[in-house]
Amino acid sequence: MATNGKGKSIEDVMEDLNKMLSKMGKRDGGGNHGQGNEPKATAFLMFAIIFLGIWGTLTSYYTVDVEEQGVVTRFAAYHTTTNPGLHFKLPFGIDQVTKVPSSRVIREEFGFRSKSTPQGTRTQYSKDSHSSESLMLTGDLNVADVEWILQYKITDPWKYLYHAKNVRKNIRDVSISVMRRVVGDRLVSDVLTTGRVEVADQAKILTQKALDHYDMGISIKSIFLQDVNPPEEVRTAFNEVNAAKQEQEQTINQAERQYNKVIPEAKGKADKLLSEAEAYATELINRAKGDAAKFKNVSSEYKKAPEITRRRMYLETLQEVFNKAKKFTIVDPKVKGLLPVFNYSANEIKKSQ
Amino acid sequence: MKFLSIGIIILAAVLTLVNSAFLLPEGQQALITQFGEVKGQPITKAGLKFKIPFVQDVRYFDKRILSWDGDADKIPTKDKKYIWVDTTARWKISDPLKFTKALKNENIARSNIDDILDGITRDIISNFNLVEAVRNSNSILDTINKRKEEKEISGEKKELHIDDSNHLDEEITGEISSIKAGREKLTDLIIVRAKKILNAYGIELIDVQLRSISYDDSVQNKVYQRMISERERIAEKIRSYGQGELQKIQGKLNRDLKQIESVAYRKSQEIRGRAEAEAIEIYAKSFGSDPGFYEFSKNLELYKKTLSAKGEFILSTDSYFLKLLGKGP
Repeated sequence: MATNGKGKSIEDVMEDLNKMLSKMGKRDGGGNHGQGNEPKATAFLMFAIIFLGIWGTLTSYYTVDVEEQGVVTRFAAYHTTTNPGLHFKLPFGIDQVTKVPSSRVIREEFGFRSKSTPQGTRTQYSKDSHSSESLMLTGDLNVADVEWILQYKITDPWKYLYHAKNVRKNIRDVSISVMRRVVGDRLVSDVLTTGRVEVADQAKILTQKALDHYDMGISIKSIFLQDVNPPEEVRTAFNEVNAAKQEQEQTINQAERQYNKVIPEAKGKADKLLSEAEAYATELINRAKGDAAKFKNVSSEYKKAPEITRRRMYLETLQEVFNKAKKFTIVDPKVKGLLPVFNYSANEIKKSQ
Repeated sequence: MKFLSIGIIILAAVLTLVNSAFLLPEGQQALITQFGEVKGQPITKAGLKFKIPFVQDVRYFDKRILSWDGDADKIPTKDKKYIWVDTTARWKISDPLKFTKALKNENIARSNIDDILDGITRDIISNFNLVEAVRNSNSILDTINKRKEEKEISGEKKELHIDDSNHLDEEITGEISSIKAGREKLTDLIIVRAKKILNAYGIELIDVQLRSISYDDSVQNKVYQRMISERERIAEKIRSYGQGELQKIQGKLNRDLKQIESVAYRKSQEIRGRAEAEAIEIYAKSFGSDPGFYEFSKNLELYKKTLSAKGEFILSTDSYFLKLLGKGP
C-alpha cells in the first residue's frame, strides 16, 4: 500500500534524524545534558524540523499561468520577473510572487457596462446611469453621447504593480478626460458621423501619451467608439433631419423619374414628326415627278393630232361622268323657268336637305 | 532551569532582531523616527532594512503615483455659464519629511489637495469663457474654413452633388469663436499654480485632468432646446432644397420638352416646305411646256373627280354634248 510505504519512509527519515541529532548532541554537549531531557528535546526538534521542511517545500515553488508573468520580490525588494511555467523560489516568504496577467488584453468600458451573460449568448448591455461618463460637450457647444471601449495590456508588470496605485482608475480617468478633449475639438456632426475613426485614433495617441508620462507599464492596444448618439432628449430631432434627407432624395428622385418618363417619349415623338415630314416630302416629289412624266408623254402624243384628241378626250370624259349619273334631265333652251319640270315629292326634299 | 533561561535568552535575541529589522516593500518609502523625531534621510529603496531596536520607529509612505478625485464643482465661467467641472489629479509624496510634518498622512493630504485644487480650478475656469475649457485648439475653425473653401471650389464647378450644398450649413451650429487658451492651457495653469503650493507639503503634482465639463441642468435643457431647433431648421432646409430641386427639374423638363417639340416641328415644316417647292418646280417645268393642253386635260380630270356618281344633271340641248340632239344631224 502506498500509504504504508510513505509512512515507513517518513519513519525511517525520523530515525535517521534522531540518530544524527543524538550523535551531535553528545559531541557538542560533552555530557552536560541531563539524561531525562534528551528524548523530549529531540522529539520537539524533530517536529520543528519536519514542520519547517513541509512549509519550506510548499513555499519554494510556484507556477505562472500562460497569460501571466510573475514578479518576484526578495526581502520585499524587486528581484526578477518570471515567465509562464514552474519556478522555484526561496521559501518561508523570503521570496514572494505577484502574478500579473500581462499577455491578456484588458478591456474598459465607458458610458455603458456589459452585463455578464450565460456563455454562448450575445453580450447584453445595461445603459442606465452611465451618462455622466458618456455625455460630453463638442466644439460647437452641443452635447454628444459617446460610448467607447479601451483595450490595454500590461507591458511591464513591475511598473504596473509599483509605479502607481490603482492603475485601473488612472486609466479610466485619463481616458475620460482625453476623450472629452478630442471630442471638444470637433463639431457635433463630425463626431456623430464621419469623425469616429479619427476621434478614436487621436484619443488613443493622447491617452497613451498621458499614461507614458505616469510610466505605469501600460500599453493601449486600441480605442473603439461604440454608440455615438445625440443625447436622448434631442434624438428625435436628429432623426427628423435624417428623415428630411430621405424625403429630399425621394422628392428629387420622383422629379427625375418624371423627367425620364417624359423626355425620351418626346424625343420619340419628334423623330416621328420628322419621319412623317420626310414621308410626305418623298411622296409629294415622286407624285410630281410621276405626274410630270405622264403629262410629258401624253402632251407629246396630243401635239400630233390636237383637234381630234381634244374632242375624243372630252367626249370620253362626258361618257364616264354621265354613266354614273342617277338622273338625267334634258331641257330645251326655249323653256323658261325650270321649276315646272321638277316634281319633287316631299320625301325627296327632306332627303336632299 | 538552565533550559528555561536559555529559552528566555533566545527569545530576547529573536525579539531584538525582529525589532531591529524591517522590510520595506516595493512602492513604499519609509522614515525612521526616534521618539517622534525624524532620524536620517528617507529610505526609498525596497528591501530588508535595519534600525535601532525598541528606540526607533518606522513610518511608511506610498512611493507610487496616487490619484486624487475631486467632487464636481458648479462653477460660472467668464461668459456666465454654469458648468460642472470634475477634476482628477495624480500626485506622489516626493518628500516624506515635509509631507509628514505638514500633513501627517494621506487622508489629511487628500483633503488639503481638495481645498487647493478646487480653489485654483474655480479661479481659472471662472476667468475664461466656456469654449476655452471645452476646446483645446482652433483646429475646429480650420476645419470649417477648409470646408468653406471646398464648397466654393465645388460651387464654381457648378454641378453640385445633392448632399454637398447643405453639408456646410448643417455642420456649423452653435457658437464657433476662436479661442486663446484652450483646455490644455487651462490645466497647465492649474498645475503650475497648484504645484508651487503642494511642493511645500512634500507633494509632487504630476498632472491635473479636467475629467469632465458638463452643463448645469438648467443650461443643459436650453442647450437641448437649441439643438432641437437647429435640427429642425436643418431638416426644413433640406426639405426645401429638395423642393427647389424638384422645381428645377420640372423647369428643365418643360424647357427640354418644348425644345424637342419645337425643333421637331420646325424641321418637319422645313422638310415639307422644301418638298412642296420642289414639286411646284417640277409641275411648272413640265406643264409649262403646254399650258393649253394642261388646262384642258386638268379640266377633264376635275370633271371626272368632282361630278360625283349618282349626281343629277340638267343639260340644255344647246350644250356641246347635246347639240346633235337639239338640232338634228
